[in-house]
Amino acid sequence: MPRKVMTMIPIEMFLILSAALFCIGLVGVLVKTNGIVILMCIELMLNAANINFIAFAAYLGDALGQVFVLMAIAVAAAEVGIGIAILLNVYKAKKTTDVDDLTILRW
Amino acid sequence: MMDLFGLDLTIINDVVKELMPIMPQVILIIAAIIVPVFGYGKRKGITAWLSLAAVTSALALTIFLIYDSYSGSFLNLFEFNEFTGFMMLIFMLVLFLVVLISLTESENRKHSGEYFSLLFVATIGMTFVAGATDLITLFVGIELASISSYALVAFRKNDPRSAEAAVKFLIIGGVSTAISLYGMSLLYGMTGTTELAAVADYLAAGDFTWVYIVAVIMLIAGFGFKLALVPFHAWAPDVYEGAPTPVATFLAAGSNKMGFIIFFKIFLIAFVAAQTVGGVPELQWLFAILAGVTMTVGNIIAITQTSIKRMLAYSSIAQAGYVLIVLAVATEYILAGGLFHMMTHVFMKGGAFIVVAALCARGIGEYISDYKGLAKRAPLVAAAMGLFMFSLAGIPPLAGFASKFILFSGAVTAEGTWIWLVALAVINSALSLYYYARVVKAMFVDKGATTEKIRVPHSFKFAIAICAVATVAMGLYLGPIMEICEAAAAAFFAMV
Repeated sequence: MPRKVMTMIPIEMFLILSAALFCIGLVGVLVKTNGIVILMCIELMLNAANINFIAFAAYLGDALGQVFVLMAIAVAAAEVGIGIAILLNVYKAKKTTDVDDLTILRW
Repeated sequence: MMDLFGLDLTIINDVVKELMPIMPQVILIIAAIIVPVFGYGKRKGITAWLSLAAVTSALALTIFLIYDSYSGSFLNLFEFNEFTGFMMLIFMLVLFLVVLISLTESENRKHSGEYFSLLFVATIGMTFVAGATDLITLFVGIELASISSYALVAFRKNDPRSAEAAVKFLIIGGVSTAISLYGMSLLYGMTGTTELAAVADYLAAGDFTWVYIVAVIMLIAGFGFKLALVPFHAWAPDVYEGAPTPVATFLAAGSNKMGFIIFFKIFLIAFVAAQTVGGVPELQWLFAILAGVTMTVGNIIAITQTSIKRMLAYSSIAQAGYVLIVLAVATEYILAGGLFHMMTHVFMKGGAFIVVAALCARGIGEYISDYKGLAKRAPLVAAAMGLFMFSLAGIPPLAGFASKFILFSGAVTAEGTWIWLVALAVINSALSLYYYARVVKAMFVDKGATTEKIRVPHSFKFAIAICAVATVAMGLYLGPIMEICEAAAAAFFAMV
């Protein structure tokens, strides 16, 4: 059944979508200064990898990729949970979540 | 058939037998669940002692399994062999030292249950990485270790430096996770399986299609962040400086080793698999260049540092560069040398950080200038610190010299043109003596403002003593430990 779908939409389309999503996320991390937005951009990058996994899993007719995605989603959720807590903590300490204002530790 | 009150006890036997390969982790998992419960009770000191008991039993069990040359696998996801055992030994030793110095740590008193629980969870993640035979185990293990480390770095909630370090660690760690996950997805697409052996075969073929190149770059970049290799190292000094010092000890002595295991499991196995056709020279040269750049930049920046924690962080980066030589050369002997260096690094770097933590606990600052005249104020601690510094620089007859000697000699005797890399490493070692000796000079030669005695807490004294004895003993009497390293390296090469 999945193979039939894949014959209609070639795998390249999925890979191009995921590559585009990954690049948008990476540019967002590099350009944005708000900590929360950066966390969202990291989510974009993780989900780009997830799209890859799902596309390959469907294309190969193999369930392992989908298992990997479940793990990756759980990990991403944990990471955001900790991330928001850390940003809240920094907001309490400095009244900002702007990462450009974090300038105590410098070489 | 054993039975008790009509219950069939053989089932317990079966469960234990099935769980045997991950038994040390099972102990830590149980402890990680139970310890926070006691943190809510009236007597909070009990969490620390309970943690110490748990880590001691896990450590003892690991040593027993190694001594028994036990090997077994769990669900095709985790394999316990000599290599896994050796790495687990390293992680358990680090955890033991960190729990020991956290016994009297007053700043963690309020949430000590959570603190120890997070330490356990991070160590569980690392040990699962050590025995991973599948990309899924590897990924989940790395993330388990990383995510708990973010929380640990932020643990001193009211300290803005701790908060800032945690944000930097979180963002860089998250990006590196995403990059390496993308690389893993490409590997999965090319091989159709998530087994590390299949991945190694694919990398060993070295066909350099665009997917191969993108996947390799993403894996090196993603995991390079975790290991703090030089283009990806900027977070490490900030995090080590901002984190509570016991946590910095844990990160510098422990998590850093996890990065090496990932590189070994993905790339070194591929290089070994391709050895009959001359390895994958392009990638091995890439690692040689990364090693050279990492050690040089780490050492040069370390010279300019005034904060002792930042200096130790840059020295960690430089030491990572030395161990990276293993990936370039890829022989069994040099892997044994690399593992030996990782073991000695635990005690040298761990010991140095513990001294810093002990002095912090007594109100001494974190700058090298604060250490002036320390030899008069705390003679034994200063002597131990001197020992660690000279060992890190590689002065005979200390452990750092022995492990560096074996590491470098492995590169010299191997086939291939790695003499230049060894020459660079030796020059770097000489360079590093400058900034290590500066600490020793501050402690022993310079006059301090006061000669008032410092009394270091007992648990710190004990931890420093363990590190100092290990640093001297492994340098003078390296037979037994080298035997374990060689067995570990042989087990690693047998996995191909």
